[in-house]
This record gives sequence, structure tokens and C-alpha cells, in this order.
Amino acid sequence: MSQSSQPLYEVRNVSKHYGSVKALENVSLSIHAGEVVGLVGDNGAGKSTLVKVLSGAHQPSEGQIFLDGQERKWDSPHDALEAGVETLYQDSGLAPHLSVSSNVFLGREQTVPGILGKFGFLAQKSMDKIAHENLDRVGIAVPQSNRSVSQLSGGQRQAVAIGRAVSWASKVIILDEPTNHLGARQAGEVLHIINQVKAQGLGVIFISHTLPHVLEVTDRIVVLRLGKVVADAPTSTFDAEKLLGTITGLIDAK
Amino acid sequence: MKSLVQRGRAALGNQQVLLLVVLILMVGFFTWRNHIFFTTAVFGNILSDWFPVILIGIGETFVIISGGIDLSVGSTVGISGVVAAISMEHLTSHKVGQNFTLVLGFLICVGIGLLVGLINALLITKAHLVPFIATLVTMGAGAGLAIVFTGGAPIGGGPDKTISLSVPDFGPFNRPGIAIVILVSILGLYLHKARFGRYTYAIGSNPFAARAAGINVDRHLIKIYILSGVLAGMAGYYYYLRLGVGAPTSGQGGELQAIAAVVIGGAALSGGVGNFFGTALGALILTTVTSGLIIINVAANWKQVVVAILIAAAVLLQEFRNRVRK
Repeated sequence: MSQSSQPLYEVRNVSKHYGSVKALENVSLSIHAGEVVGLVGDNGAGKSTLVKVLSGAHQPSEGQIFLDGQERKWDSPHDALEAGVETLYQDSGLAPHLSVSSNVFLGREQTVPGILGKFGFLAQKSMDKIAHENLDRVGIAVPQSNRSVSQLSGGQRQAVAIGRAVSWASKVIILDEPTNHLGARQAGEVLHIINQVKAQGLGVIFISHTLPHVLEVTDRIVVLRLGKVVADAPTSTFDAEKLLGTITGLIDAK
Repeated sequence: MKSLVQRGRAALGNQQVLLLVVLILMVGFFTWRNHIFFTTAVFGNILSDWFPVILIGIGETFVIISGGIDLSVGSTVGISGVVAAISMEHLTSHKVGQNFTLVLGFLICVGIGLLVGLINALLITKAHLVPFIATLVTMGAGAGLAIVFTGGAPIGGGPDKTISLSVPDFGPFNRPGIAIVILVSILGLYLHKARFGRYTYAIGSNPFAARAAGINVDRHLIKIYILSGVLAGMAGYYYYLRLGVGAPTSGQGGELQAIAAVVIGGAALSGGVGNFFGTALGALILTTVTSGLIIINVAANWKQVVVAILIAAAVLLQEFRNRVRK
């Protein structure tokens, strides 16, 4: 990993206040192409707020955001999506009654050519095919992309949710607790997918409470405590004990 | 190669096939009890009842799939028919041309439906009332206003040719009915094959996911409630043509009939589930029961009992199927 190259995505000196509450204070974080950065911290450390700033859902009170070295301002998550920054929220999920491919293409449907397309008629077969290919590319084996999501297992659903984000992310993908509520084997599949995504040259921000997963899949770990970055170091410099100590403040990393 | 048993099981798992079987059994039963049932005249009567129910029902289908409910459609039928009737009576007494009067009456019905739908939509998306309460409000207000405007009596005195327009003259079909079938078929295609329907299912299935995917949920819901209102307004016009009068009571219970049709058709009130053919067949079964019981001389009140059983059966079947799937 060449850390000297220009970061793919970066926030510099970002602060976020809610009234008198300082959720984030002078936080800087950068991520390179093909890198998986783990973002950890206790409840209330500011992880969710940072994710919202990164995904465009909230605007920082102070500080700058850079994508590919260019300063950007997200007015909405839609702006970030358009620029290639996809976020998978732990609570948004999928529409269970829709098929796999309908979920992958949700909000980005392809229409048939010609006059019917102008009236919004959908090119379902083409979407089924592309969705299948996209999921296949990141190693997600879904039997049929026209099956409804409600018929899939929890792990398969999460894989589809990630696959959906990966299909559209051209630069960065932010995964908020993607292994939550998953069994060991299913979580392993998700971590495998993250490695596939990384191999494709995307930047991955991985937010999780499950420290073994963080240690397993990330290249670098950023620890937040009380709205500040207290550690930002290669994953190889952490072990489980040191990581936990840094999160809780029992070990002072600086 | 699928075995015959597998295929049979798949067919029974399909609500539309089941509904079709129920419908055929009903037609068979009623015909067995009274041969008069199996005639073009009776079918024409059933279809004449069916047209407004499917018209409101398809609107309600969109609403229910989106996870909402529209209780105001029955009142909208009443108030739109009444206001159109008052206007048409006025125009006719001033010797305005029949065609012009009828077209204007139609536009008034559509306009009132649009207005009620818009009020529902704004109460739900801007004032954040739950759909049940928002449409309960407009349901009560609409029904009340229809009586205030008419003093409770039906309003006639429209163009002479009004009634002749709803006489079945294409086999069992009447002209407005043909227009309704074309319209609801197009809406059915929109539900199942177009982006509009896809967003409707997505919002009912998981509004958070829909929003996260960049769908403007509020704007879509506004469109759906306006659609439901406009279709109810059109049904109001249909009843006016059929009865030759605008009666404040003509849509009474229409919302329950529409909801029953949608639920019998396999939709879930929790959203995300439902389909066009289910609603169409559900509505047809409801109207067939009504005519059939009259023809075999069963007291009209039994109709409600039969409808209740049908709804219960449809919901139980769905519960059962959900459990099997899990």
C-alpha cells in the first residue's frame, strides 16, 4: 500500500456540532484506492456522525471533504452517490418483497428503448442479467436474480445489499456494521466479499463493533473516542487487546 | 420435467388461480340453483356492478401496496357524483348542449377526485398523519358535504341521454365499462411493468430502503393518493351515468368493497404485496356474489356474511403461505 499517493477520499479537520454538543472535533481521515479502513469506537464516539458526513447525509459544521484531490460539498446523499461514494446503512437494508435484481437496480432502473421507455416501462430481463453479472463479479452467488429477497437467508441478504452498493460505487464504499446479526459463516462470506471489492481498487470504509472482523479485513484502523481521532495506524500494529484498550481509553495511543 | 403434483401445488399456491377456481365454482353453483344466472343479461348486470369496483379497487391496490389505505374513496364517489349532478342539472335547465354538459360533468368528477386525493396526500406527507386517520377525515367530510349539498336527496335533471350511455350494448359490456377496462389494464401494466409500480412496491416493502435508494417517497405517495382520488371521482361519474342521478349515498361502503377486493386479491395491508389480477378477480367475485344471491333468492344481508368469509379465507391463506415460505 503506497501511502504517499494521493488519497482517494479524505475529510480534513471536520467538526460537527449539534447545538452545544460536539459530535466530531477536528477529525481527519483518508482512504486510498484498494484500501480497507476500519472505523471503530465505542457508542457515542462519533462513528455514526462521521459516516453521515462521509455519505453526504449531514454537512460538517467545519472542515473540508476531498474526493480524488478535489474539494467537494455534499448537499445530500444523492450527491455523494452520483460522485461514486456508496453507503450501506445498517438500518436501510433491502426491500424484501422485491427481487434481487429489482433491489440492485432500485432507484436506478433501466427502461426499455423507445416510446414505452419514456413512459417508464422497465427492461427487466436486461436488469436481471446485469444484476447477476455484477453480483457474480464480487463473488456473490445468488441462485436467481429474479427471486424475491424475502426468500434469501440473512447472510445472502446482506451479501445482496453489499453487492448492490458495490455495483454502483465507482470510488468508495462505506459499510456500516455489515456483519451485524450474521452467523460466523455468513460473516466470513461478507468479509470475503470485502476483499473482492478491495481487489477491484475501490476504497472501503468498514465500521464495526466486532473487533475480530476489523482486525481480519482492514489494512488500517482509525479509532474514534468522544468525537476525536485517538489512533490511526496500520492494522498490523494492533492486536485485540491493544485495539480494545485504545477504544475504551485504557491505553493512550498517542 | 415438473411432475403433475408439483404443478398442481404451484397452481394452488398462486392466489389468482385459486380465485379463478372460486369464481368458476360460484358461477356453477348459482347457475345450478337458477339457470337464469347464466345469461348475457345477468353477466351484463354483474359487469355493470364490477366496473366501478375495479376502478376504485385498482387505485386502492396502489395505495395498499405502498403500505397505506384510502378510506375516502366511497365518499369521493358520492361527493363527486353529487357536485357533477348539481352542475349538470343547472346546465341542462339553461339548455346547454348534452355532450358539453356530460363532458363537463366528467371533468368535475375527476377534479373533485383530484382535490380529495391531494388533501389526503398532503395530510399524509406534509402533516404526517397516518393514512388511516388522514383518509378517515376526508371520508367523513366528503360524506357530510354530499348530504349538505343535496339535503340528502338524489339530484337528477341532467341530459336526457345519460342513462342510455350505461346500457350494455357490446354483449355484457357498456361503453363506459369498456373505457374502464382499458384504463385499469393500462394501470395494471404500470403497476407490474413500469417504474411507477416498482417504486410503489419498494415503498410499501421498506420505505427506508426506498429513500436510501434515492426515491422521492413523499412525491410518489402524493401521486398514488391523487390517482386513487381521481379514479374514485371517475367511479362517481359512472354511478351518475348508471343511475341518472347524483346520490349522496351512491358510494356508501365503496371503500370497504374496494379494500375487500384488494385483500381477497392477495394484497397485505402491511404493504409490498398485491397485484392487479388479484384485485380484478376479487372485485368480480364480490359483484358475482351480490347478483347471484339475489337471483337464487337468498336474503340480501347474507351477502355481507359471504363477503366476510371470503376476506377471512383470503387472509388466512396468505398467513399460511407466509409460514410455509419461512
